[in-house]
Amino acid sequence: MTFKEPTKQKVDVGDGAAIPTKSDRGLFTAWRFAFVGAIGALAYLAWSKPDPYLEIIRFVPDGIAVTFKVTVGAILLALVFGLITGLGRISSNRFFNGLASLYVEVIRGIPLLVQIFYIYYALGRFVKIPDLFSAIIAMAVCYGAYMGEVFRAGIQSIPKGQMEAALSLGMTREQAMGHVILPQAFKVVLPPVGNEFIALLKDSSLVSILAVADLLRRGREYASESFTYFETYTVIALIYLIITLFFSKLIGIMEERINEER
Amino acid sequence: MRMLKSVLMLLAAIAMLSGTAFAAGKKIVVATDATWPPMEMVDKEKKIVGFDIDFLGEVAKAAGFTVEFKNTAWDGIFAGVESGQYDAIISSVTITPERQKKYDFSMPYIDAGQILIVPKAEKGVKLADMKGKKVGAQIGTTGAMEVKKVKGVELKTYDEVGLAFEDMAAGRISGVVCDEPTAIIYALQKAEYKDKFKIVGKPFTKEAYGIVVKKGNKELVELLNKGIKAVKAKKTDVALKKKWLK
Repeated sequence: MTFKEPTKQKVDVGDGAAIPTKSDRGLFTAWRFAFVGAIGALAYLAWSKPDPYLEIIRFVPDGIAVTFKVTVGAILLALVFGLITGLGRISSNRFFNGLASLYVEVIRGIPLLVQIFYIYYALGRFVKIPDLFSAIIAMAVCYGAYMGEVFRAGIQSIPKGQMEAALSLGMTREQAMGHVILPQAFKVVLPPVGNEFIALLKDSSLVSILAVADLLRRGREYASESFTYFETYTVIALIYLIITLFFSKLIGIMEERINEER
Repeated sequence: MRMLKSVLMLLAAIAMLSGTAFAAGKKIVVATDATWPPMEMVDKEKKIVGFDIDFLGEVAKAAGFTVEFKNTAWDGIFAGVESGQYDAIISSVTITPERQKKYDFSMPYIDAGQILIVPKAEKGVKLADMKGKKVGAQIGTTGAMEVKKVKGVELKTYDEVGLAFEDMAAGRISGVVCDEPTAIIYALQKAEYKDKFKIVGKPFTKEAYGIVVKKGNKELVELLNKGIKAVKAKKTDVALKKKWLK
């Protein structure tokens, strides 16, 4: 019997956030151009037309903080949901497997905006949870399903032989999963999780419909009273762009480090 | 040659469609945020109905133009009139000095005021009693601006006022400020809220609604004012108030 080592698999569940790769290195990369350009544009607008641009920039910082709270809270919770779902999806336990698959299918079939509305107001019917936390739960439930698929793919990318070897050493399935498979799978899923983080950061703008005072909501509040719609959304778009570019770079660096370690 | 002919015909058709003079019998496109009962809302047949809708219909009849309504989200409704997506807004818009700086208004056509709605258990009787609590209002409304003025009260803004009431039912906020006619619908007439909410005190602002048009569109303002005057002279607005505002 010949044992075939599968080729090293790369998990790729992307949102299209362009994470720069090594080949992108150079002075005039698209990333650098966009990042420096966005900061420059924002600074220029604030300097050349303080009213309304500087006013808008002064108005929104607490919104940025809320956007971060929602994003970080939701990603942490989604990681937990995702890990459970991912394990469920590869489980041989029929009930657990079916439940996890149902969750993924249902969530993937409903638009994120509808889910957020639904979960937020459905929660309000049954339990009293503060609005920010409800929004985080709504985002986490949505992203948990996607994260589950990332984990499933990550675990399945670890060669089967590893599990067999661990079992033959006398480990139980749980021990093998916890000590052998998952530590390796985590490394594989880190880049796609980073990708999901950026996708979630952008999608967190959807919670503004729940009256959660995030970056977009603060912008809309400013615009609705000053009637400076174009100016406000210009600033909001630039701020989102700067934040997203910053994190995509960070994740790019992280991914490189991991690849070097391998 | 045939090509040239068809191009010319197309241009002529476009020119005809886009003529903007408000001659008699002219159609004007009017935006309304139909989430504000009983002033403007969508009924079971998906038709936009309400006091404002009927009122503008009468104005149009009196001044000799036809109206096409366009249901538009409140957030951004002003931007649309500025960019020319529609000619006017009738959507319970209070005439304020800030808004007058950016847009032109018709003469006032009805008076209204802001009022506070709270859960039945709430003890406060006015907005100043709500210190340290969250009060909701629709984004960019005079209600939201009034809440903002009171120090110590945290304003939460919603896309639609109905969402604010739903959040209050869920216990996430302790009060909602909106126009009195809308407050009556939500707090006294809606079956699911009737037992939960109460209106406290009297309206605490004096406001007048006007029809919004793009800055400088004097022609349309005059046309609207002519119609409003005629409707008021005939007392049709009194009959409409009886029909919609109880």
